Amino acid sequence: MPALDVILNALISGVLLGGMLALTALGLSIILGVMRLVNLAHGEFLVAGAYAGLFLLQWTGIDPLAGLALIGLVLALIGYPIHRFLLVPLAGKGPEASMMTMFGLSIILQNLFILLFSADTRAIDRSYATVPLELGPISVPQIFVIGFVISVVLIVAVHLLIARSRFGRDLRASADQPQAAAMIGINVSRVHAFTFCLGAACAGIGGTLIGVALSFTPTSGASYLLTDFAVIVLGGLGNVLGTLVGGIVLGVLQSIGGLTLGDGYRDLVGLVLFLAMLSVRPQGFLGHRA
Amino acid sequence: MTVLTSQSTPQRTISIRSPAIRIVIACIAFAALLAAPIVLPTYFVEIGFKLLIYIVLAEAWNLLAGYGGLVSLGTSSFFGLGAYVTVGLINQAGAGPLQALAASALAGTAVAIVMSRGLFRLRGLYFTVGTLALAEALRLFVINVPWFGGATGLFVTVDLPEIAALFRYATLLLALAALVMALATGSRFSVLLRAVRDDEDAASQVGVRAFRIKLAAFIVASALIASAGGLQAIKLGAIEPYGSFGLQWSVDPLAIVIIGGLGMRFGAMVGAVFFVAIGELLADYPELHVAITGVTLILLIRFAPRGICGLAEAALRRRGAAPQEAHP
Repeated sequence: MPALDVILNALISGVLLGGMLALTALGLSIILGVMRLVNLAHGEFLVAGAYAGLFLLQWTGIDPLAGLALIGLVLALIGYPIHRFLLVPLAGKGPEASMMTMFGLSIILQNLFILLFSADTRAIDRSYATVPLELGPISVPQIFVIGFVISVVLIVAVHLLIARSRFGRDLRASADQPQAAAMIGINVSRVHAFTFCLGAACAGIGGTLIGVALSFTPTSGASYLLTDFAVIVLGGLGNVLGTLVGGIVLGVLQSIGGLTLGDGYRDLVGLVLFLAMLSVRPQGFLGHRA
Repeated sequence: MTVLTSQSTPQRTISIRSPAIRIVIACIAFAALLAAPIVLPTYFVEIGFKLLIYIVLAEAWNLLAGYGGLVSLGTSSFFGLGAYVTVGLINQAGAGPLQALAASALAGTAVAIVMSRGLFRLRGLYFTVGTLALAEALRLFVINVPWFGGATGLFVTVDLPEIAALFRYATLLLALAALVMALATGSRFSVLLRAVRDDEDAASQVGVRAFRIKLAAFIVASALIASAGGLQAIKLGAIEPYGSFGLQWSVDPLAIVIIGGLGMRFGAMVGAVFFVAIGELLADYPELHVAITGVTLILLIRFAPRGICGLAEAALRRRGAAPQEAHP
């Protein structure tokens, strides 16, 4: 049995890291909820965000945290043509066609990253990533706290956008009843385009935070994709605040798994949990919507 | 899957219609394959082995996705499972290659049955994500649990069979796969399977036992994939989790079938020849090869959802229909 402060530390880092995981899962969640698209290239969007943060720092010296909005914008601008030229033409061809297209994009991006940036493991090197924040017996890297706060703020902002704004009303209508929404004059395809760009932006920002807090490789995307699915399953699809809860639950469980079984088991705990959740909820996680 | 495959009812486009003639042709083809290693140079036997393994994987994937609507990204879970079972039995129990491969098929069947409870509750896209998670979970399990040699993997400790012998094993496996596919796609079962694919609820309402039908297809595919994984492991002589459970084993069969023609009887074969040929041409640039595969996938899904076989069939039909009244 590890000492009490070790356990406490692990739990707190689990909560903080879970908040960041929730932000990375948010993009996947809204794209799935609104567009019914399983974005299999989501992990590569995250990695693209991490690279964007890395190169922003290397080329211009701008701190990635200061450039988060810029990174989000870049990812949204990358997302727009992907939606316009790859997904729009497939409208009406069934969900598998879009999903496979995103899968094709994912393996293209993964290998482009390897060709352009080499297969090396990278980390965005900032002092706040290593310097701990100490409070009594608790000591966590500063970035965990900063990342958690940024994630919570962004998630709440997206929640308010969807729950309160006029655009959010259109978005919820398009998600629930696309045809009825179109009939009462909502421009569903514009809502989809915006959702896709917003999802890409959230993924990019989440990726940058992960890139500072942990490390990444060109092929990290696939495991984040699955972790993010686990977060969505735990939190409930289409539920933005639920994503935050799901992320924190998963972060804590991963920490407990890492502490009791060994560090290599962190991701396995998430996946087993994910598969178990899938089999105990008969309708899958779309349950209440299908 | 409805849209990608709605027109993909297997069509008998080849003029040889008599079943007896087909069987004779198939037997001659397999006899030729069995004899091939005697005359072919080693390089071509190696390529041929790869081609055979890919055709088996693609046939299995086509049965699931093309005929059953079960789009799986978990091929690597069964491939890796077969690899570890085969190497484990050869090393620990002194099993011969054929026994070990048969045992892998059984292990594939067992895991398919166990996982089907959870996986089949997931419809469509969610099934795909579930299979992806299964593959990743198995890989992490093998890396972390100490019995399997961790990230370093295991070595085959006995002498490996020659490539010519392996080629013949692969030919036998393909013959088995071809037989199973002929039975599964040419019988009442294929009608039931496609009914489930096109509308599971409607099929259930008219009395099709959707779960059993899907499970049968899943078991057959998993057993074939696991045997192929075992055979590949014997060929390599060493296995490790990143290789045997690698995402490529899930991606390649999918790419092959989409290139060849999803739900088309010859899709797997045509796609595999195309895929292996491109792979050999770009052997020095593996990343480029995968990226080109991705581009090909995107283009085919958009412009030719029925792959090369679909294009060929449309061309044949145009030529055949021209003299008569063209049908819509």
